[in-house]
Amino acid sequence: MRDTLRWAYALNQWNVRLDVFVRHEDQQRALKTVSACGFDTIELASGTGRWDNISRPEVILTNHGSHAGFLDFLRRARVQGVSSMFWDPQAPAEEEEGYAFRSTADPDDADAIVEWSRPFVDFVAGVGAEQLVVRPVGSAWMTPPLDADGIKRVGDVWNRVGELTSAAGIGLAVHYDCLGAVHTEAELTGLLDATDPARVGFALDTAELTVGGIDPVAFYRAHADRVAHVHLKDTRHADTGEEYRMPGAESTMLKGGAGRRIERWFFELGTEGGLVDVPGFVAALREHDYPGWVVVESDHGGNPAELAMLNSWYLQHELGIAK
Amino acid sequence: MAWTKWSYMDHWVTETPQGPQPPSFNRAYMDRYVKELSALGFTGFDTFFFYLPLYAGMYGGVPGFERFLQDNGFEKITGIFSAYPSATKYAAPHVRETHDRIVADCTNTLRMCEGLTGVENFIVMPTSTYWQTEPVTDDTIKVVADLWNRVGELTRRHGMTTTCHFEFWGAIRTREQVDTFLAHTDPELVRFFCDTAQHTIAGVDPVQLFRDYADRCTGFHFKDTKDVDEHEAYRTPPDPELMAPQVTRWFYEMGEGGLVDFPALMKEIVASGYDGWLTVEHDKAELGGGSYAEATAVAKWYIDNVLAEAEAEARAELGSAR
Amino acid sequence: MTAPERAIKWSYMDHWRSNGPSGPVDQWHSRKTMSAFLKQVKAVGFDAIDTFDFRIWQMYGDYGGPAKYQEMVQDHGLERIVNTFHAADYDVRNYAPHVPETHEAVFEDFRVTMGRWSEIRLDNIIVMPATLFYDMEPITEDKLKYSAECWNKVGEITAGFGVKLTCHHEFFCGIQSEPDIETFYSYTDPRYVNLFVDTAQHCIAGLDPVALYDRHAHRVSGFHFKDTRHVATGDDHRHRPDSEIMAPTTGKWFYEMGTDQGLVDFEAMMRAVRDNGYRGWISVEHDKANKEGGDYSESTAISRWYAKNVLEEIYR
Repeated sequence: MRDTLRWAYALNQWNVRLDVFVRHEDQQRALKTVSACGFDTIELASGTGRWDNISRPEVILTNHGSHAGFLDFLRRARVQGVSSMFWDPQAPAEEEEGYAFRSTADPDDADAIVEWSRPFVDFVAGVGAEQLVVRPVGSAWMTPPLDADGIKRVGDVWNRVGELTSAAGIGLAVHYDCLGAVHTEAELTGLLDATDPARVGFALDTAELTVGGIDPVAFYRAHADRVAHVHLKDTRHADTGEEYRMPGAESTMLKGGAGRRIERWFFELGTEGGLVDVPGFVAALREHDYPGWVVVESDHGGNPAELAMLNSWYLQHELGIAK
Repeated sequence: MAWTKWSYMDHWVTETPQGPQPPSFNRAYMDRYVKELSALGFTGFDTFFFYLPLYAGMYGGVPGFERFLQDNGFEKITGIFSAYPSATKYAAPHVRETHDRIVADCTNTLRMCEGLTGVENFIVMPTSTYWQTEPVTDDTIKVVADLWNRVGELTRRHGMTTTCHFEFWGAIRTREQVDTFLAHTDPELVRFFCDTAQHTIAGVDPVQLFRDYADRCTGFHFKDTKDVDEHEAYRTPPDPELMAPQVTRWFYEMGEGGLVDFPALMKEIVASGYDGWLTVEHDKAELGGGSYAEATAVAKWYIDNVLAEAEAEARAELGSAR
Repeated sequence: MTAPERAIKWSYMDHWRSNGPSGPVDQWHSRKTMSAFLKQVKAVGFDAIDTFDFRIWQMYGDYGGPAKYQEMVQDHGLERIVNTFHAADYDVRNYAPHVPETHEAVFEDFRVTMGRWSEIRLDNIIVMPATLFYDMEPITEDKLKYSAECWNKVGEITAGFGVKLTCHHEFFCGIQSEPDIETFYSYTDPRYVNLFVDTAQHCIAGLDPVALYDRHAHRVSGFHFKDTRHVATGDDHRHRPDSEIMAPTTGKWFYEMGTDQGLVDFEAMMRAVRDNGYRGWISVEHDKANKEGGDYSESTAISRWYAKNVLEEIYR
């Protein structure tokens, strides 16, 4: 995309199950699709094991030999680089003590999580990406509500990881999601206050904030100086019934297992009935000369190629950005 | 009488509003999945250890999930599959120092199964990938055997049989390696699970293997393949199952022109007096445009028509021999 | 993307499937699915679309006619409808190019068809110039000559509407071998009958599409750039009812250009297009892309990626 904003595309929707998106030729097809849609930079998302070979740093390196080897692989499809990588330390991974279940909300887990971050810090720096984007805390339904001390403990973990990322010359951005234990605007602001602005930025996801009941445009305007990373996607629903508190909200809420039985929350830009004011949000980014990456995402959507093409169309024809 | 104890190994993908997903997407999808299996006549259900927490969450415990299966015509959960396909510094069957951890993991899995009607098999991949384990020596196999002897003792206390399922890309894959492993393990504690496709790919005749180890065999994965690994694909890092250069899809449902002689195996099973569960598996059935629902229906058609005939012939031969 | 100085523009031939709540549907399913189709085609950089004759009824029924439908196409940033494919149901009893007694029915069909399309500008009306192979065999010189005479006259009719008549030789039609194609063109009038080179179809029939194009470049009025991984063998070309689906060699003949293991040498083709001084439209096609786990959206993006990153480096 030829624009003053820097646009990237997230590969997460291609890797939707345990045993898909493994063969290199499948990955090349996705990269070419993204490239044909006008994006020359991608965001990666963490995973685990031999089948997550475009997701887990160690496995990527096993596949491609080195950071440079991986970049060569991307460049075969004319994708030039990596903007960022997403990591959720709460998601069990076999590389992290054999599927250990840890949380930033538990002070006993802090050392381990800081240690777990190292392969990601090294990889993000190694491939020349700018941001390690993290899920700062696990799902709200899994833990008691976080008080101010709890939020501070979470912030402390990320301050420590932020020291590692700063030393490696990359950024760290904590990402808000609609199921997280940091849920309300006050809690989110509390987390930002609990983290060191020099080392920890905010990854603003337009759809996640909207589902969580926070206006992304207003929040951006209020905290533009902390926003280091953006995920741009739309939603048709807000969580008006506190469904995020339902047990197993990953399925009961986000896959429509219970509550209002909404089976798909996230949609492409320009979707009918979308709740995000995408033009307003992008205009706000421009007003503030937002310097980071804007990553378009189609996670939890449907056919990834179709969604990438529809998102590209929206950028070109609704936002007037030349490909 | 035709074989009634057919179980289904829990691989399944279906279209959802978020793309193709396992039926654990939500309970409505689980309903459809289990009804489809039940309609075809499956009465046993095998699943993976890593699905247990998910099902427990959806149904208020693994026994709650089994009650849901039973409400839909199933007899019970018949097998639990546990594995460490990737060796890590925390868990690798060929590394003795990790055995305590693996035994602890197995203990946790067994705890989740408490209160079930009676899971019969605790199915394990005996090793991680070949490429992470090699060189595979007799000593390596002995270390692995020691682990599964321990786990075998543990599962016996929980009423389950530890039984080993050999992958074509695992460290115990040739006939000689399987023989060595079975010789080093206690026949009372560690059994053999016959995956027809995996052995065929590894160049091992599954029918002959069963004939030779019928007394230690506690189950089968009836699945087919169209390729023998002739290019050392089993050593492909990080994963031979999905990344082999020459073969994009290894596994097929029965009845699609594959290499496994299922009628011969069925006859051998009848002749051996085996009376346990037979399990249908066809992992990655969606590759190349396949559908799990269709693959499962076609496999069950094959059971009801081709294998039923083979079984009847074998029983008639057995009868006349008496 | 539509800079006027470009010698080549890219059109997309309208095969499509997407997954809906009721299973796979094509883009004509609803205005919403049509809009999503057009957005995707445009997003990856196609300039226009081609369509089928039989879609005209949906254009009238759902959109108010070809002109109104074309307005919708243009609303999505695409230039226009470039070509239409006349997919006739040949029948040796009443509608077959090699059977002179049926020619009047063919001519009348084209008079009516061209009238229906006359509200928009088309470059080509594309035809399969012969019946299915098994309905024409044995292929004799007389039959080729009758066919040529038929299309000479049809070409004259379409020229009257400002549209070129152009022939697209499927591997399973009666005029598909190299000698038969050469004989056929020797009898046709270059003013009225053009060649439309489908790279995959010729390749499947055992021809070199580049050489064929070079021989007939002066009368080539368009292309389907698509790939294949198989050459037809045995009687693949004469399987009833439809060799594209029934031939035993493969369950999937067609792939998007740029596919692994593709047999078409697109770079040589593009050099030939350049060296012959061709200016105008190249159509991209990958019919039945959804077979064996494929996906139209992905194939379309990848084919455009290939056009941009490989072919436009040669000629644009």
